[in-house]
Amino acid sequence: MHPVLRLVNRNLTVSLNPGFLIWQVIFPLIYIFVAGFAYTSLIQDVPFEGERVGYPAYLATGMIGFNIMNSTLISGLIIWNDRRHGMFEQIMSGPYTRMQYILANICTIGIVGLGSAGLIAAVGFPVFLEAVEFSPLTVPMVIFAAVAGSVLFGSLASIISTRLSSSEGFNVVINTTFLFFAFVSTAFYPAQGAPGILGAAFYANPLTYLVDTIRAGIFGGVTEFVMIEMGILSGLAAVLFVVAAKMMTRLDF
Amino acid sequence: MDCIRADGLTKSYGETLAVDGIRLSVESGCAFGFLGSNGAGKSTTIKMLTTLIRPTKGSLSVLGIDALREPLKVRHRIGVVLQQPCYEPTLSVERSLTKYGMMWNVPKAESQRRAAQVMHDFDLEDFKKKRNEDLSIGQRRRVQVAREFMHDMDLLFLDEPTVGLDPAARRKLLDYLKEKVAGGLTIFYTTHVLSEADYLCDKIAIIQRGRIIVCDTPGALKKSMSRKKTITIRTNADDMAVSAALAGVSDCTIEAGMGASVTILSTNPEQVLMEVLGRLRQNDIKMREISAAAATLEDIFLETVEDAPRTSTR
Repeated sequence: MHPVLRLVNRNLTVSLNPGFLIWQVIFPLIYIFVAGFAYTSLIQDVPFEGERVGYPAYLATGMIGFNIMNSTLISGLIIWNDRRHGMFEQIMSGPYTRMQYILANICTIGIVGLGSAGLIAAVGFPVFLEAVEFSPLTVPMVIFAAVAGSVLFGSLASIISTRLSSSEGFNVVINTTFLFFAFVSTAFYPAQGAPGILGAAFYANPLTYLVDTIRAGIFGGVTEFVMIEMGILSGLAAVLFVVAAKMMTRLDF
Repeated sequence: MDCIRADGLTKSYGETLAVDGIRLSVESGCAFGFLGSNGAGKSTTIKMLTTLIRPTKGSLSVLGIDALREPLKVRHRIGVVLQQPCYEPTLSVERSLTKYGMMWNVPKAESQRRAAQVMHDFDLEDFKKKRNEDLSIGQRRRVQVAREFMHDMDLLFLDEPTVGLDPAARRKLLDYLKEKVAGGLTIFYTTHVLSEADYLCDKIAIIQRGRIIVCDTPGALKKSMSRKKTITIRTNADDMAVSAALAGVSDCTIEAGMGASVTILSTNPEQVLMEVLGRLRQNDIKMREISAAAATLEDIFLETVEDAPRTSTR
């Protein structure tokens, strides 16, 4: 087996514990089925690319991006745990290069991200079934966005994990960063209608680009603006990946 | 054939010189002990030898491979038990062993067979289903050492592997390593417990302030390095009487007790002993017991380290 695949196998084994999987499913399900339907008495539908979409369907598609972001925390956790428990040094003293370690993490992020997206899409499908408008263009677009988003958030979590050594510091920074990403984005509500500064802040957040691209892919509203968002998402993912890779190659023992 | 050959190996961190141009050769199929006090440069040297860090200067060949040019090739053929605990907290002992085998590309069936074998050899069977994070420090250490035997290797580095082990487990590990050395494995072993190095190693190097100050077999080191010997004589007289009898005799100390004891610590103990015995006889002081202690590796280590020149920074 190729060294990268062996490391991916190991990464998945050590990080996909039952607690994490339950959290990954239950958390978005509560949002989709409890919050989504409870809020319909206040918000029946929301604007999206010139059309109106029911709020549960809007939220369910937002949860796909949200879940990708959450699941890629795994990347940061793998690196942080490996450093904390000495496995980074142990792996590096074995038959692996740093580049293989980095690639294995990226592959793990991609697999977990796609898996999470698929899981929430499958669970939330009945909710947004009526509004779905897939086409040969939009399916690869959703998959591409899921992978780019996984790489982006995985790289960000990796960068944080290379900079912080205490568990308190790591948890505070990760939770604060991801809380900002989750709620200052279009995952839960549209930018239109939000107060001016908050609406602008939505677009300083990569989760917005990920969620908008996935929604456009599912609801079929692929506009020029969405294509620009996808470009920004890919560019940011590439930049953060390079930064994360550089920081990981500089990790010393 | 030399398994490790280092020449002028140097590592500096800014102004601090951690390892200062060491020259080292380790023969294949032997247990090589690497001793030094805290901060002497042991771990930095091991990290260079295992290719974890790159030397600032010097050349290094491990298993006949140029380790600076082809570090990955070296890492394919060595095993490393690091000084700090290294474990997968959420995996059970058994799972972490088989996963480690998988990481070394050991086929699944073989990996399971080896896991069963090392669990037996290292007494891990009783807690094989326990997660690593729930183990005691000593149990976790045993898993860490056992794990390295999941894959084939020609050279094994062990950096203080017995930390946290009880005396029985420590002895069992040393015997296990001796067996492996007899089977052809080369071991590079660092420890602070000098009796372990004495028991296991065929050759010992002592590093101090980044330089190797001595390198020889334990026996030869004891013979050549021990300038002093200790002889203790217990008498039937009190310390006042013994002190008066031995007034003017150098290199001996007198301790009070149920009959004073005389300890001779000298580079020329035979001559001092003759003098002491003569004086005791003249003063009618009877000798109850006499004992001589050979120098231990610990004596040699302390003597060597104290004598080393202070040249650690530039």
